[in-house]
Amino acid sequence: MSINILYFGMLAEISGQAKESFPGKENMTVKDLKEQLFEKYPQLREKKFKVAINQKIGDDGMIIPSSAEIALLPPFAGG
Amino acid sequence: MDKLHKPKKVFVPGAISPQFVADSIAKHQSKVNIGAHAIFLGQIRADEKEEGFVTGIEYSAYEEMAEQTFHEIREDAFSKFDLICMHIYHSIGLVPTGEISLFVFVSSAHRRAAFEASEYIVEQIKTKVPIFGKELVGPAGEYIWKENK
Repeated sequence: MSINILYFGMLAEISGQAKESFPGKENMTVKDLKEQLFEKYPQLREKKFKVAINQKIGDDGMIIPSSAEIALLPPFAGG
Repeated sequence: MDKLHKPKKVFVPGAISPQFVADSIAKHQSKVNIGAHAIFLGQIRADEKEEGFVTGIEYSAYEEMAEQTFHEIREDAFSKFDLICMHIYHSIGLVPTGEISLFVFVSSAHRRAAFEASEYIVEQIKTKVPIFGKELVGPAGEYIWKENK
């Protein structure tokens, strides 16, 4: 399965792109995905961010559904 | 009873002008059941950083999720407080120092609901809406990513 990942703010600067298609596997958790992203972009390890799955904030244990839209969200700064 | 409200677009390009705020107030003069308005305006500060003074903030957002979150905050506030109407506008793109980037406007029959709702809504926006900001610093195009505390 493939998942679409969106990067925002400082995280897009680290990945060098606003979005990418990422190879996922069945029953992949948010934590599994993060580990793969840390391999690819070591600088992400240092950063604070939340993960949204189909526009809802998720936690590490959540399973990523196939063809999900995943967004990596750095600290919020609205207001 | 659940009141459902039509989602309204929150994001406006660039700064929110004082004229826009004044016009919004004027539009409410026909609603004679209103006895209290509470208005919150967020303005860009010229904070001093190591690289120099902040000259503006460039806002970006996960827009689709942000608009949905604003809608949820609106519905939530309508259910918690006895409000007649509510308007929220937030800038996207560049807002220079001294200009307005957030306009929250709540109206009710009596002051208490308006006071409480405006504070509640602003706090919710700060913590829940995926909006990101680059604080532009000094003349050389440097910037720092802003983080709400």
